[in-house]
Amino acid sequence: MDNKTPAVTMRNITKRFDGKVVANDKVWLNIYRGEILALLGENGSGKTTLMNMLSGIYFPDEGEIAIDGKEVVIRSPKDAFALGIGMIHQHFKLVDVLTAAENIVLGLPGKLDLKAASEKIRAICSAYGFEVDPNQKIYNMSVSQKQTVEIVKVLYRGADILILDEPTAVLTPQETDKLFAVLRNMRNDGKAIVIITHKMHEVEALSDRVAVLRHGQFIGDMPTKTTNAQEMTNMMVGHPVVLNIDRPEPKNPKPRIEVKGLTVRDIEGTLKLDDVSFTANSGEILGVAGISGCGQKELLEAIAGLQPVEKGSICYIEDDGTREELIGKDPLSIQNMGVSLSFVPEDRLGMGLVGNMDLSDNMMLRSFRRGHSLFTDRKTPHQLAETVVRDLEVNTPGVSTPVRRLSGGNVQKVLVGREIASAPRVLLTAYAVRGLDINSSYTIYDLINRQKSEGVAVIYVGEDLDVLLELADRILVLCGGKVSGIVPGRGAKKRDVGLMMTKLGGGQTNE
Amino acid sequence: MKKIIALLLALVMVFALAACGEKPAENNAPAENNAPAEAPAEAPAEAPAEAPAENAVTVKAGFIFLHDENSTYDLNFINAAKEACEKLGVEYLLKTGIPEGQECYDAAAELVDEGCNFIFADSFGHEPFLIQAAKEFPEVQFCHATGTKAHTEGLANYHNGFASIYEGRFLGGVAAGLKLNQMIEDGTITADQAKVGYIGAFPYAEVKSGYTSFFLGVRYACPSATMEVTFTNSWYDPTLEKEGATKLINNGCVLISEHADSMGAPTECESNNIPFVFYNGSAADACPNTFIVASRIDWAPYMEFAMTCVANGEAIPADWTGTIATGSVKLTEINEQAAAPGTAEKLAEVQAALEAGTLKVFDTANFTVNGETLTEYLADVDDMGDFQPETNVISDGFFHESEFRSAPYFDIDIDGITNIDA
Amino acid sequence: MNNKTREPLFHIAKRAALPWYRTWAIRGGALVLALIVCALITTLVTGENPLQVYVAIFKGSFGTSRKVWVLLQNVAMLLCVSLAVTPAFRMRCWNLGGEGQALIGGLAAAACMILLPGKLPNWAVIVCMTVSSILAGAVWAGIPALFKARWNTNETLFTLMMNYVATQLVAYYCVVWESPKGSGNIGIINPNTQIGWFPQIGSYKYLLNILIVAAVCVAMYIYLNFSKHGYEIAVVGESERTARYVGIKVDRVIIRTMLLSGAVCGLAGLLLVGSTNHTLTPTIVDGRGFTAVMVSWLAKFNPVWMILTSFLLVFLSRGAGEIATRFSLNQSFGDILTGVILFFIIGSEFFINYRIIFRRPAGKED
Repeated sequence: MDNKTPAVTMRNITKRFDGKVVANDKVWLNIYRGEILALLGENGSGKTTLMNMLSGIYFPDEGEIAIDGKEVVIRSPKDAFALGIGMIHQHFKLVDVLTAAENIVLGLPGKLDLKAASEKIRAICSAYGFEVDPNQKIYNMSVSQKQTVEIVKVLYRGADILILDEPTAVLTPQETDKLFAVLRNMRNDGKAIVIITHKMHEVEALSDRVAVLRHGQFIGDMPTKTTNAQEMTNMMVGHPVVLNIDRPEPKNPKPRIEVKGLTVRDIEGTLKLDDVSFTANSGEILGVAGISGCGQKELLEAIAGLQPVEKGSICYIEDDGTREELIGKDPLSIQNMGVSLSFVPEDRLGMGLVGNMDLSDNMMLRSFRRGHSLFTDRKTPHQLAETVVRDLEVNTPGVSTPVRRLSGGNVQKVLVGREIASAPRVLLTAYAVRGLDINSSYTIYDLINRQKSEGVAVIYVGEDLDVLLELADRILVLCGGKVSGIVPGRGAKKRDVGLMMTKLGGGQTNE
Repeated sequence: MKKIIALLLALVMVFALAACGEKPAENNAPAENNAPAEAPAEAPAEAPAEAPAENAVTVKAGFIFLHDENSTYDLNFINAAKEACEKLGVEYLLKTGIPEGQECYDAAAELVDEGCNFIFADSFGHEPFLIQAAKEFPEVQFCHATGTKAHTEGLANYHNGFASIYEGRFLGGVAAGLKLNQMIEDGTITADQAKVGYIGAFPYAEVKSGYTSFFLGVRYACPSATMEVTFTNSWYDPTLEKEGATKLINNGCVLISEHADSMGAPTECESNNIPFVFYNGSAADACPNTFIVASRIDWAPYMEFAMTCVANGEAIPADWTGTIATGSVKLTEINEQAAAPGTAEKLAEVQAALEAGTLKVFDTANFTVNGETLTEYLADVDDMGDFQPETNVISDGFFHESEFRSAPYFDIDIDGITNIDA
Repeated sequence: MNNKTREPLFHIAKRAALPWYRTWAIRGGALVLALIVCALITTLVTGENPLQVYVAIFKGSFGTSRKVWVLLQNVAMLLCVSLAVTPAFRMRCWNLGGEGQALIGGLAAAACMILLPGKLPNWAVIVCMTVSSILAGAVWAGIPALFKARWNTNETLFTLMMNYVATQLVAYYCVVWESPKGSGNIGIINPNTQIGWFPQIGSYKYLLNILIVAAVCVAMYIYLNFSKHGYEIAVVGESERTARYVGIKVDRVIIRTMLLSGAVCGLAGLLLVGSTNHTLTPTIVDGRGFTAVMVSWLAKFNPVWMILTSFLLVFLSRGAGEIATRFSLNQSFGDILTGVILFFIIGSEFFINYRIIFRRPAGKED
């Protein structure tokens, strides 16, 4: 392949933000037709920035871009389209009330002929194996269908260089498989395809070649066949990483939270949790598995006192056996009862933290009520912020930086750091490592394990089954708001748990 | 980039220096206002001939207006102020948009600081604050249009002025009556249908006096006429005034007049082809088919008179009422397209009679209250806030409007006028 | 390399936080540019010498000591209303009802001044005025707050509507208490007894107002930045979900903060009626409830910066009045200049948050 003229050559590309943060530093990259290139790197390594320069969103401070050997200037997405470059972003840019066909032709010059457009769309779909109904409204579509529309939109405009930014982040495993099949078809058709990702198994399953970025610098590229996950991870991180998660044996587990017959409806009256019962023990991690939106959020929020409950009971059991009912209490009264309960919610900046406040003000969220003074004590949270920054190696300019300026991993460290600082007896976490790079993820696993060893009852809601199987002592599988089963983490099979997620009781009845 | 900033800074310095250099010169000006040097050369030439040389004081006038020239009410005053000052060659300052509050006192005091020795305010609500200023600055003469307190307050330097606008409205009414006669003659309406409508601002004496005189004028020409009145409770509200016109037209009024300051009603009349008599200014341009005539107060004679008094060191009377004879009450050009034929001649005749005193607008023979002719009426002329009428204002067979004080006090509900809001 | 010449002329990039002196340099530069543009407009449209116009604007505020006092008084009143709406704004609760809340406070004060003399001694009248106007303002803000907290009504529309209700109420009472009869005007209340008039400090008519508002300003700064309530307001403003997550009772904070907001507005109305005007008209608040929105926004809801922004706005409006008087220009011309200046100042925020990168001349290294 190396003797072919690359479809895209990026030479010596440098991009700085705010005049000093270097997002890309003299990056060289070749993209070939008939090949799927996986652009790999941790969060903040400059993958998206690099591709945004190719698609005309940013303009490089230095360096040149050549298409098919000819030097070009891309100053807008329009220029990029004219050169056959199309990018599919993580956040879709579609008009909900229009149909797929209308969205696809939106903004194109020339007379509007939806019939002809629909024909062309069908032709594209059958060529690559997409399933799109041109007349379906966007608001009726699933996430994966919307993504398909975005891809077809780009193809419709004649793109033959496609860039997909973390396309699988929003897809179910089945949908991911479908997408990969389509991408392979397009590769075979001679298109150049770049997917931005940091998921190793996707790289291995799909790509022909891998290019790795680290801290804005180009580290290297190689054919996928000649490398493996460990090597790629080491290249991404910059030093060897152990890809194993610890799972110490629970020490002296005792029931801590007992949930019985919990039933919850959302505001629209939809049943979100239906007769859920389980016990979470101290010194143990209870993993919660399930397809997204099948009641995990409601379960944690009900325990934390944030979710009105229709019926059932949630009991907090102290070491001496005293039981406290948590239902009907808000977070403040739960705290006032002396129940030390920490909660790392899924929506970090929208719920767990205040994005515009700095680190020490965010530390204060849990503690500001302390004392009888009318005024807030700023010293203690400030010290806590400094401790968290030091102990968890939070990468921040200082404790007076607004947390929204931090990267995802650092935001999560701040949140987890605050939640465990109150020495909780129960720790609830939802998608604790979502969007985090490898290093940060392992820091979080480590912190959770440390809590477990200190006798905390941890309820860990996760989306990555591989991680759940390695981390959790027991796994509670939810399916459509019901308990599909509780299995021990040690020795559980991924396939069985997957089946239980999609079908009530799935695994057991089948086997 | 640095060069540009340096350049800008340099510019600022120049501005600042220029500003500093300018200031002392300007600051001296007010202090020197009495010096002859300040008096422009053309002043003596244009000054009225009767100005005696001795005791001559250079007048500097300050005017306080509630709104700016976008309000027809204030525009009328602003034009008068400019006209009067330019005629007398007087230096003047205008302050527009002064609310009826402490700001009025502040504005007056600032004008005094600027060296003004004659201050005029145009809105009723300015009065208490102007009195406050008058007490503090006895050497300055204060005149207030439409106010009521000068004759009771007893300040030598505080005065009220008004005009017998009821005479102008009466003439407008005559023109309207002639229009009604024309409509009756050509069969558009019957004599019974000769109903006119009137949009008033507030149900105060000033407005009542206005619409009553208008109605008496209508009936002077067209005896069968009746009138309906509606109020907007605002001096300026185009929407409400328009709605008022619509309401009156729907009630069967065939001609409209008003006492409020916007163009809301005239435009509504034009689109419904209903003739109307306006106030304050001509609407012939906007409403060529329906505008008949408008009456207005010309304040220039009063301002001229008062400033001449200041210049000559003479006392200004506490109350001054302009009339048609003094040129204070004026009619606009008659719009021949809408007015009945012969209107101009008839108005000239009536005006002459009013000026001669042979015709009285509020002649008790021409109106009744509950079917009775009035022989005496006590009005609250002194306006001490007691709301107690104390002065008999009917004698010699007519109601003596604007004689005991300049502001109107006719507040009688006469027969033939219906308040449709009541 | 010929591709350099085909580079776009400029592109826009987001900046990191700038040091304070650079942000102020940008703002200052914007002001200078605005003055230059205003000068051009003045020369082109009116033919007046722009320097003289600027001198007049300056003198409109600082020409005489009286003008300075009037300026300070106006700054104080505008600042008072701005301080009032700020806690609600920090909570992202758009209280556009400052006008009505101040007006209703003024109405309460005027009611005490008119109805209580003869029944109570002067000091008691003043106490009643103070209590009732603060309460009235608080109630006027509390009603929309209650509806927002209970039924999640839109506070922007609700508070806006309450303005009209307040104006009509005041207009009604202006007729009820009119003096002289038929004028629809209350006139100066208790002109002879001066009951309910706030005491004057020495010969300075407006000093009391200025001192009271200064105290409110300091108190508000401390309240918003250092008190637990202030912290709760900030959290609720940033994210109601976060607030619930840490156990803040959002409804209660909304109602409490709006009550405070209305109470300070009521205080503004009290000062306007009891201390400055001694009368009541439907226009006595003079749009300050709306100008306050701009004051508060421009100062990024910081009470201390609001001194500066309210000063700026009053300074510009006094200057506009002065040039209207001095050059016989319509007041609107002054407002045009004010608009241009505000446009530049608000626009400068763009250059604080973003920078424009121009095409580098060929052959030059940055």
